[in-house]
Amino acid sequence: MSTDRICVGAIAGAFGVRGEVRLKSFCTEPGAIADYAPLWTEDGARSFGVTLTRTVPNGLAARLSGITTREAAEALRGTRLYADREKLPPPGEDEFYHADLLGLDVLDTGGTPLGRVAAIQNHGAGDILEVRGAAGGALLLPFTRACVPTVDLTAGRVIVDPPEEAAP
Amino acid sequence: MSRSVWKGPFVDAYVLKKAEKARDSGRNEVIKIWSRRSTILPQFVGLTFGVYNGKKHIPVNVSEDMIGQKFGEYSPTRTYYGHAADKKAKRK
Repeated sequence: MSTDRICVGAIAGAFGVRGEVRLKSFCTEPGAIADYAPLWTEDGARSFGVTLTRTVPNGLAARLSGITTREAAEALRGTRLYADREKLPPPGEDEFYHADLLGLDVLDTGGTPLGRVAAIQNHGAGDILEVRGAAGGALLLPFTRACVPTVDLTAGRVIVDPPEEAAP
Repeated sequence: MSRSVWKGPFVDAYVLKKAEKARDSGRNEVIKIWSRRSTILPQFVGLTFGVYNGKKHIPVNVSEDMIGQKFGEYSPTRTYYGHAADKKAKRK
């Protein structure tokens, strides 16, 4: 399920007295947030061009278009910034953006619905899909071709072949 | 102080037994283990272990570069989801 806009950062407050803001980037490469400009507010009412000026403790300092005073910057504290989905570069082969996978319906190979993709985790041993069913239980599946043979983004579904549990 | 070399790597016996059984069966299965302290051995490469983190079994797909580490290192006991933003998942 592809969403139109993706949250890529948030404004943590003002920086200095010349209208710069302290930006918190949620991107893999923090500096990449500027590449996705213009960034939108959650309601889509305002958009900003972003120019990164320096790195600061716990974030980046940036100049947003239309923000020229410290007061205006301070008023934006807590605002989440969203980028258009089309701004993200196309992923490589067998690569998927988390934002595209989250919320997809999960079916087993027999067509039985198992739930939806609730999260994608990676603890150093490969990506793991967390599937949550209507009952609330979580199913953790390694994101491998054997366990997840089909990812159909256009149909909004993932076909999985959950591995058996080894006999005790 | 590191472990003496003459002792060899520590692995709980039941983990070895389960891994051997799973390798022989050749099926696509998750080997549930509770032993976070066991060392990952070369014969575990290619197998998928479900390593207990106190609440659930986290799937750990063993690859070559994980040899010598402990299983517990790949099954964190605290969860932080973070933001999706531009993060990518790669299917292996």
